Amino acid sequence: MSTEQDEPTAETTTDADEAPAQTPGDRRREEKQARMQVTERERAEAAAAADETVQLKVFRFDPEVPEKEEPRFDDFHVPYVQGMTVLDALIYARDEFDSSLTFRHSCRQAVCGSDALFINGSQRLACKTQLSALDAPVRVEPLPHQDVVKDLVVDMEHFYDQMEAVEPYMQSEEFPEGELEEQRQSPENREKIKMSTRCIWCGACMSSCNIAAGDNEYLGPAAINKAYRFAMDEREEDDIKEHRMRIMEQEHGVWRCQTQFSCTEVCPKDIPLTEHIQELKREAVKSNLKFW
Amino acid sequence: MSQSYDRGLIEDFGRWREFSAGMWAWILHKFTGWVLIGYLFMHIAVLSTAIDAASGDPATYTDTIQGLESLLVVRVLEIGLLATAVFHILNGVRLLMVDLGVGLEAQDKSFYASLVVTGGIVVASVPTFLGGGVV
Amino acid sequence: MAERYSSFEPNGATWLLQRITAALLVVLLAFHFFQLHFLNHAYEVTFADTQARMEDPAYFATMVLFLVAAAFHGLNGIYNALVNQGIEGTRKTIAKYGLTLAGIVLVAQGIRVAMAMAGVTIS
Ligand code: HEM
Ligand code: SF4
Ligand code: FES
Repeated sequence: MSTEQDEPTAETTTDADEAPAQTPGDRRREEKQARMQVTERERAEAAAAADETVQLKVFRFDPEVPEKEEPRFDDFHVPYVQGMTVLDALIYARDEFDSSLTFRHSCRQAVCGSDALFINGSQRLACKTQLSALDAPVRVEPLPHQDVVKDLVVDMEHFYDQMEAVEPYMQSEEFPEGELEEQRQSPENREKIKMSTRCIWCGACMSSCNIAAGDNEYLGPAAINKAYRFAMDEREEDDIKEHRMRIMEQEHGVWRCQTQFSCTEVCPKDIPLTEHIQELKREAVKSNLKFW
Repeated sequence: MSQSYDRGLIEDFGRWREFSAGMWAWILHKFTGWVLIGYLFMHIAVLSTAIDAASGDPATYTDTIQGLESLLVVRVLEIGLLATAVFHILNGVRLLMVDLGVGLEAQDKSFYASLVVTGGIVVASVPTFLGGGVV
Repeated sequence: MAERYSSFEPNGATWLLQRITAALLVVLLAFHFFQLHFLNHAYEVTFADTQARMEDPAYFATMVLFLVAAAFHGLNGIYNALVNQGIEGTRKTIAKYGLTLAGIVLVAQGIRVAMAMAGVTIS
């Protein structure tokens, strides 16, 4: 590989007479090379041995292309490699078969939240879903209950609006004395909100919720969870919490939740969404009882 | 976004095979709830014969109730009502637990348990409902 | 987005009442079914039996409570279901008052029946 060629020349000239010892970098590169040879061999072997392919049925739609105006499913037969995810297979299909196949992805490691798709009937992150865990043919569709822009790309605008509606940022106004003082949070409190901080804004939960599907104004699980993350954070003052609770208690807030658990089941970050929504409902009832 | 594609409700009902326990529980709870409130209205209507009965002729009430009860259809419907009510109660208790934040991890199992227990109670009460006085 | 916050409604109160009536109904409905299908058999019910039961003030009060709780729980349940379905504006207002009216009629008629059974007549 071209990138690995100039460095050794530079190093051998300086380090040559001192010691022939490897730098950590050399060792890493060597190991990596070895690893790559192994995986390449494995890959070749696997392909040769079984020429195993996985059939993908992928939703296609493009309002700007006459042949794709009518939504349809295309079949792709992708050579299977051990450890292949749905996202890998889609990338393969796009690179090798049809460069117009459109889908969002970025991090490939369940961090960016851009590739939530409807795979074999449930909302999952394509990069976190192993093909080996699915029945073939694998049906890949854009997230339900959102408008399709093109192929697997849906319009996320509404989801982001709902997320913004709960004011997803720290609003604490009291700062500790001293310029370098930190706003401390107790370990217990951190533990309490831990799961709720994990959201990657993928929209899987919202898409799975049939209440959100019927009521466009429903804040939805992700936004409510986001509100929970701040409402339960002890660093915010009581009046801010009250303000947050008022957002949660409005008509299209927590009361819409019918505890179907579909959001909790699909969340790729395993956030106990239903539990958080329920806790906010109880919190709301409690604070109302205090006013009576 | 004028050109985007709205896939409509197929997403919801065309996919019933993929519904999870919580969704089935919701649908059944809804359905049983509507049946129960419908029955409540009917029930009060039937019992209203008691007003005539009180103002002179007790037979209107007794005959209406016993007349209805002598019909096999009514008995079968009553078993249906029992099933509906028992499921709604058991799943209702499940929902109350969920509201209190108790046993959320077992919410799917408790739904299946509601179904099984409902089935059991209904089968066990068939003799009581069908026994005696059916024409 | 800000306009959304203004529609504050005490939904929490009806939510709580729906749960409280549900808890009451578990006991009341179980008692009722047991009373009329297992202890007494529905097919043997006569007006005289019914009168005898209703004349007991405690039973009378229990049945009225049962009626009120069930009517609220059932009709509020339907209202919630409709709102979840996404009805709004005029249709929502109609649903609200229609269901309230139905509830009032149901409870009034129910109490009239119960009083007739208990032998109290006003008409
Ligand atoms: C016996 C004990 C009962 C329990 C524990 C119970 C429990 C519940 C609960 C917790 C809900 C709320 C569901 C939600 O909003 O998420 C509900 C809804 C409902 N209940 Fe009951 N209930 C009982 C009896 C009844 C009776 C006697 C009736 C009829 C008069 C009834 C009619 C309804 C209706 C119509 C709904 C709304 C269903 C929907 O969402 O469409 N329930 N029940
Ligand atoms: S709560 Fe979970 S499913 Fe919903 S957007 Fe966040 S990460 Fe995705
Ligand atoms: S590609 Fe970033 S979450 Fe899947």
